[in-house]
Amino acid sequence: MKRSVLHSVSLLSVVGLVALAVGLLYSKGTADLAAQDRQPIPFSHEFHAGRLGLDCLYCHRAAHQSPTAGVPSLQLCMGCHRNMDANQPGIQTLLDHWTRRQPVAWVRLQRLPDFVYFTHERHLANQVQCLDCHGQVESTPYTPRAATYEMGWCLACHQQRGASRDCITCHK
Amino acid sequence: MKLKRRTFIKALGLAAAGSFLPGCEREVHHLVPYVLPDDEIVPGVADWYASTCRECQAGCGVVVRVMEGRAKKIEGNSEHPLNQGKLCAKGQAALQGLYNPDRIREPLRRPEREGRRPFEPLAWEEALTQLTERLRKVQGPVIMISRPLSGTLAELVSTFMRAIDGELYFYEPGADLPLRAASRAAFGMDAWPHIDLAGSDYVLSFGAPFLEGWLSPVSLGIAYGQMRQGRPLTRGRFVQVEPRLSLTGASADRWIPIRPGTAGLLAMGIGQILLAERPSALPETQRRTYERIYGDIPLDRIAALTDIPREELVRTAREFGSAGAPLAIGGGAACAHTNATESLAAIQGLNVVTGRIGRPGGLRFYEPALFSGTQSIPWLTERSLGELAQRALSVVLLYDSNPLHTAPPSIPLRRLFEQADFVASFSPFMDDSTSAADLILPDHSPLESWGDHVQPTSFPTAIVSLSQPVVTPLYDTRAVGDTFLSLAHRLGLSGFPRETFHAFLQDRWRRLLSEQAGTHGEEAFAAAWAHHVQQGGWWGRPGRELTVTAAPPPLPHVPATFDGDDQNWPLYFHPYPSPSLGQGRGANLPWLQELPDALTSAMWGTWAEINPHTAQAHGIRQGDIVRIVSRYGSIEVPALYYPAIRPDVIAVPMGQGHQEYGRYASRRGVNPQSILAPLFDHRTGVLASAATRVRIEATGRPGRPVLLEPSALDPGHELLTIGKARSSP
Ligand code: SF4
Repeated sequence: MKRSVLHSVSLLSVVGLVALAVGLLYSKGTADLAAQDRQPIPFSHEFHAGRLGLDCLYCHRAAHQSPTAGVPSLQLCMGCHRNMDANQPGIQTLLDHWTRRQPVAWVRLQRLPDFVYFTHERHLANQVQCLDCHGQVESTPYTPRAATYEMGWCLACHQQRGASRDCITCHK
Repeated sequence: MKLKRRTFIKALGLAAAGSFLPGCEREVHHLVPYVLPDDEIVPGVADWYASTCRECQAGCGVVVRVMEGRAKKIEGNSEHPLNQGKLCAKGQAALQGLYNPDRIREPLRRPEREGRRPFEPLAWEEALTQLTERLRKVQGPVIMISRPLSGTLAELVSTFMRAIDGELYFYEPGADLPLRAASRAAFGMDAWPHIDLAGSDYVLSFGAPFLEGWLSPVSLGIAYGQMRQGRPLTRGRFVQVEPRLSLTGASADRWIPIRPGTAGLLAMGIGQILLAERPSALPETQRRTYERIYGDIPLDRIAALTDIPREELVRTAREFGSAGAPLAIGGGAACAHTNATESLAAIQGLNVVTGRIGRPGGLRFYEPALFSGTQSIPWLTERSLGELAQRALSVVLLYDSNPLHTAPPSIPLRRLFEQADFVASFSPFMDDSTSAADLILPDHSPLESWGDHVQPTSFPTAIVSLSQPVVTPLYDTRAVGDTFLSLAHRLGLSGFPRETFHAFLQDRWRRLLSEQAGTHGEEAFAAAWAHHVQQGGWWGRPGRELTVTAAPPPLPHVPATFDGDDQNWPLYFHPYPSPSLGQGRGANLPWLQELPDALTSAMWGTWAEINPHTAQAHGIRQGDIVRIVSRYGSIEVPALYYPAIRPDVIAVPMGQGHQEYGRYASRRGVNPQSILAPLFDHRTGVLASAATRVRIEATGRPGRPVLLEPSALDPGHELLTIGKARSSP
């Protein structure tokens, strides 16, 4: 009796530890869902893309020529904000960074695991729209996260559009 | 143990709970954009910049992958004629030289010589002023010891040293100076021969480690591939002669375990047979001289001295003589004795006897490359370093050279640094020698600097490779060329019209391109310069081949001398440069440290390779610590059973045992140089690193060698099973 308790306890702890380790490893690669409200400046996509009607590529200028979409440089923000009302606290913070020539450390919200190779360039070149993956950006305050970005979700679209479903396409 | 259903379900529950736990972790990644965008950078898109590898003297072409201003990967430049897109491990690991946490990041000075006060930082202005003052008020000789330089930097530094009446020396441990001396002796040529491995169909190599770190390893590796598999109907054969089977030897068809120091004798024996049995291409008088010199010692005596049976000697000679394009080369182990030059001359003479000079697959000589200008800069050997240490020197300048680690302590070199009034170093890393300096003006990483490299004549195509900075400098360092220009201006020296090394380099290229490519005028130069920087250098057609006219007779045989008699010191000590760390330069790069040795799978340390018979006779178990004792000291290292070594030889790789060389190399392993006797190749003065005899003692303590295949340490399991060495007579 005693032996079997000991056995199950040790088995339980071993399995638990393994799961913990695997989970830890896995979580390293997934997106951080909880970080919405932790941006250093409360930037609103709804305002910029929706009300002002800015094109996504105006700020994320690398998207059509690079794997990553890119985050706009401070200079690009200042292109408009230089001549604007600086009364809001968020904009004040932005101006502050500009005066100190210090970049804004935005919190990253979208992140694919390291074992996935994804490129914006190919998707845009094949007429996938930003909102297909990122959702109604222009009507979402702060930063949206539209989809799960899990493999099944990617594959559904690849299948629909007749895109490659080879493993090697995304797992190089 | 039986797994009950209940237990299983419980385990499952815990596992599920376990996998939720990490979800609580809030790891935040940041996206930090530029303040001001760089128009040339597209985030996420790599730029590839061509440059030149500076990890060894070969100067292979590289392309560096740079993303968002950071160098990420180094590959071979496929357009470069020397390495054709290939790269060795050292070249790949050069990236870790750039990001190495132990780089010297700013100028440093030592407050006082005595005591162990640490170096303290100072501003560049102050550092340059200090050195200028020293050079201005100098009382005695000023010397500079540098790693071998090439191209424009060599010209700049030698012009500077001439202008201040100083002496510039190149120093590289294990330099193949005997090879050059032998070429001079055997062919009357003062140039590196091109070894046409690719065209040969029978390579008889006397210890030449051409697949490791010898001469130009990547291009020789490519040529070797050609020799073996590049021709539809011929697969070249390859015989390696050396006391310990090297990594290169492991690729050979046959290994001849020769007695250390007798490579020249074997060549004489083979020459004797060739001359006796085959019609020779030599003119009558020359033939007679060769007959006299090769026939000096009877064949049976040669067989006994080399410990190679007469039949094997005859067989090898006949194979060599009947091959279509035989090639005899020597280096490495054959170069590590007091008779290195004579041995190499005898080996190279075999190519003369078979008429292989200047023929495809033989030894060929090409016109020296363009604007070399470095021919006249003398090289230091361990012997001349020792002599230098006896002189009263005023200022010693040191650049990227570490003689205190690479020369044995039996040569009292420390004096050189202790007795000089002032020692300044330009090295990028703190090593055993630089830590003896009074002032350090650290160089950039090669990936941060401009430069060029002139291909020596060992390769037929004329090549001048270019290096360009691929990233902005990480620290407050300065390219050594710029430092020398600043010093020249402060000293008011004439002949240095340019402010920056980049401008100086362009001036030289203006000359080169106008002479070689007819590029005249600023506009044409600007376009050509951009093209060559992008391409990685300038290369022309194969240079003009030189005909060997004078062929002086080979040098008469001289027996190798050893330190220690064979009664008290029964074993030959055979230190060899590690294929990855060389003589220690690569030891501060973790990628090279963790690269398992291809033959033992050992890494991150030093070990001794010992024949299992010898080990067992001394009661040494696999992995045990063995004490190796010479007349000059002792070292303790774990022993690894290695059947591919003569029973009377014990081998230890060099490269480790640094006192100071950053966190990855310092106090790791041992330096086999530390027990070597001060014996030299008596013609060139290069250290005879295999001329020390030793005895071994079992300590009974188990060692902890780091092996990729630790099962090899099991009793009875031998690391290599490629046939056993014959036991000693
Ligand atoms: S042989 Fe290796 S270390 Fe030497 S230059 Fe070529 S790549 Fe660099």
